[in-house]
Amino acid sequence: MALRDQLRVMVVDDMSTSRGLITNALDSYGIRNVASAADGPSALQKLAAYPVHLVISDYNMPGMDGLQLLHALRSNGPTRGVGFLLITGRADREIIDMGKRLGMNNFLKKPFDPAGLRGAIEAIVGKL
Amino acid sequence: MSDPMAEIRASFFIECEELLESLQDGLQLMDDGDTDPETINIVFRAVHSIKGGAGAFGLDDLVRFAHRFETAMDEVRAGRFHPDGEAIRLFFACADILGDLVRAARDDDQVDDGITGPVLEKLDKLVGIEEEEEEDLDFTPATLSLDFGDGGGLPDLPDLPDLSALPDAAPSVEGLPSLDLPADLPALTAEPLAETTTKGFTVHFKPENALYASGNEPLYLFRALRDLGDISVTCHCGDLPNLDQLDPDTGHLSWDVTVHTEESEQSVREVFEFVDGLCVLEIKPITGAAAMIAPALAPTPAVEKAVETAAPEAAPIAPPQKPAAAIEVVSAPAPTPPAPVAKLPVASPVNSDDDTLDEAPKDEKSGSSAPVKATGTPTQPRATVRVDLERIDRLVNLVGELVINQAMLSQSVTEAGLPPNSPVSTGLEEFLQLTRDIQESVMMIRAQPIKSLFQRMGRIVRESSASVGKEVRLYTDGENTEVDKTVIERLADPLTHMIRNAVDHGLESPEKRLESGKSREGHVTLTAQHRSGRIVIEVSDDGAGINRERVKQKAIEKELIPADAQLSDSDIDNLLFLPGFSTAAEISNLSGRGVGMDVVKSSIQALGGRISITSQEGKGTTFSISLPLTLAVLDGMVVRVADETLVVPLNAILETLTLTDNDLKALGPETHVVQIRGGFVPLLDLGAELGYRQPQDSYVGGIVLLIGQEDGNRAALAVDAIEDQRQVVIKGLEGSYGRVPGIAAATILGDGQIALILDPTDLVGQASGRTRIRQPQQALVG
Repeated sequence: MALRDQLRVMVVDDMSTSRGLITNALDSYGIRNVASAADGPSALQKLAAYPVHLVISDYNMPGMDGLQLLHALRSNGPTRGVGFLLITGRADREIIDMGKRLGMNNFLKKPFDPAGLRGAIEAIVGKL
Repeated sequence: MSDPMAEIRASFFIECEELLESLQDGLQLMDDGDTDPETINIVFRAVHSIKGGAGAFGLDDLVRFAHRFETAMDEVRAGRFHPDGEAIRLFFACADILGDLVRAARDDDQVDDGITGPVLEKLDKLVGIEEEEEEDLDFTPATLSLDFGDGGGLPDLPDLPDLSALPDAAPSVEGLPSLDLPADLPALTAEPLAETTTKGFTVHFKPENALYASGNEPLYLFRALRDLGDISVTCHCGDLPNLDQLDPDTGHLSWDVTVHTEESEQSVREVFEFVDGLCVLEIKPITGAAAMIAPALAPTPAVEKAVETAAPEAAPIAPPQKPAAAIEVVSAPAPTPPAPVAKLPVASPVNSDDDTLDEAPKDEKSGSSAPVKATGTPTQPRATVRVDLERIDRLVNLVGELVINQAMLSQSVTEAGLPPNSPVSTGLEEFLQLTRDIQESVMMIRAQPIKSLFQRMGRIVRESSASVGKEVRLYTDGENTEVDKTVIERLADPLTHMIRNAVDHGLESPEKRLESGKSREGHVTLTAQHRSGRIVIEVSDDGAGINRERVKQKAIEKELIPADAQLSDSDIDNLLFLPGFSTAAEISNLSGRGVGMDVVKSSIQALGGRISITSQEGKGTTFSISLPLTLAVLDGMVVRVADETLVVPLNAILETLTLTDNDLKALGPETHVVQIRGGFVPLLDLGAELGYRQPQDSYVGGIVLLIGQEDGNRAALAVDAIEDQRQVVIKGLEGSYGRVPGIAAATILGDGQIALILDPTDLVGQASGRTRIRQPQQALVG
């Protein structure tokens, strides 16, 4: 069974357009076990019921940004080890360094194409 | 729309409109002096999100502009730049252009560089930043090793990757902004998956009074439980006091529910998510053996009820009102996830209806052996559906037909001679009520807040004030007033013209304002409100008011009125609406581009509306537009005049009365007035005004409808008989006959007869007022 059939992903973005783009791209490489959330707190809540292998999150979101979500994931037993891919419009050193310290697995700068996203995911979980 | 990308692209543009709206709101707050970082953040994020989405669709022009705007907003956000009024005006201009670019991208159009260029230049000059260089970032992705076990059965949680492999992963990070996590964030546990092997749960459920007070209903909770599997419900009514001691505001019942299900405890808990803290809730898993025994342990059959019967019985006892003040609140012993969204139907959390577009279909398609069920909490409070407007209009038409059909049915029932309390009549009464409800709901689908229109006017004010060198601030009120979508669209042009007029002609120049002791900055106020079944929109300015002397002079010069005309102030004001009238001595580059107030008036009239002016010298001018709530149906009074049936809109009628000799006073050779409670109101004979007949010999004993107008004027309309009061469907006449004075439209009555719907204001405005036949000798004199 291919990795893509088993991989479970949570997409977190406040813009439904971005969620749609990401899930659409995931779908195109055969990743079908995808949940999504519009903000960090609801993502954490959903993860309690629907554990995933990889969280793909936007950086700039109201309330809780992507890195704060990452911090919450890493501070919480069951989600400590979940894969985390940060999608950000601005790849500032500050953001990336903070991500590094928090244990971000990879990041992807916007705008990206489906191939770019695939590459960023494969760098974390291996060949899909 | 089968192409998913095309669909996402379409939804992006809709989302952009929302973002542009919050951008405008945010800038408005900043303009009002709000320096809350979150406000600035909202503005920044709106621009940022538009840029992000635009990038994904390769909308380069949009990205380029949004990027510069975003960079500027980032300077503000970082506190490196403190915007003053001028800067915020520039940001407004940027937001306007951003909106143009979004719409141009949507319609495959272009925005002239001549518009964007100067604004960008100003932006860079103002904020003074240079394009930052892309930093070269070194980052090595950290891989995860995933172990899926044997691949059969349910996916377990992956073996957690060795955290030591990650660079310094840990909660103890310096410099991280402190997390403002909600204190009641759910504990993230792996339990749900592990528990899927249990056979079910016993649920003890005792509602607090607050549960009932917040509109929850145990029945629905049990129904939601039933969706998870077989249930048996036991109701404990041992706490019920005697009837004479019963406090109807207190609940006395508790329930034990046994659920046989393969679902996780989490799913069971989610059923009670919305009553968390409002009840005592204990959920215990039952083992295989216990599951078998549980039903047998249930108490006596007398108390045991099926779900359908237990809860309805409980419902009447359930207190509908607030509980008494001193009620001990017992929180649920087991913490359940808090409900982030409060207003969803209680039964829905089980059927995860959120994000259906994104995930649900994919779960269905999933061919893997893992039956994944998304049981998340709904996160989006407002799920929306996009519907073709044509479909709604079809619905509106059908409802119109339904109203006619219902009227015909009522008529047949009356003709059949059935008594008013017969079952058929009662049923018909309910049918009538339902028809009204359906009609209102359909209208609600078409209704939108007028806010979008008001925001567009904000831009008109900014641009027009800049081009005539005035300082103008727009105030809006009632922007959440809901108005029919078609009305909003068709109001845009007349309102634009009126706003430009207010800025151009209404307000004085800053110097003149200061001279007359006013603030340098002129004010234009735009308000919307519902008033007695109509929508009233007002555009007012605090300018100099209408220069009546000049208006009259102009009208005489243009031969619109005779040179010796005696006109009241309001008559002069109304000259502005005459075709071919333009007040500005020289036509400025703003208003007066061939479109006059007469065009505004006719477009308002085309919507079934009216426009009026009030003006006070030195204080300002107010234009008031009054529009019907709906364009399809109205409540009318069916009257009979000279053997013709007519409909008078109910909202125009203040009262109806029968005239006595004392009420009637003759005034002049041809007219009467009616004395009503000390005031005098002109008497109009509807039959004579419409040319059906000559004025009557006497109106004593006649019926009159007292008509009230927006401007406060009243008139008494004499009719022969009042026949009915009912809802009528408006069928326009203008398509076939043009505008008929005094007539708004036509309708079809219950018996299939066609009746004209009056426009009382227009009728009164054009009335001859003849209610007496001139005597011959008077005719000779006159």
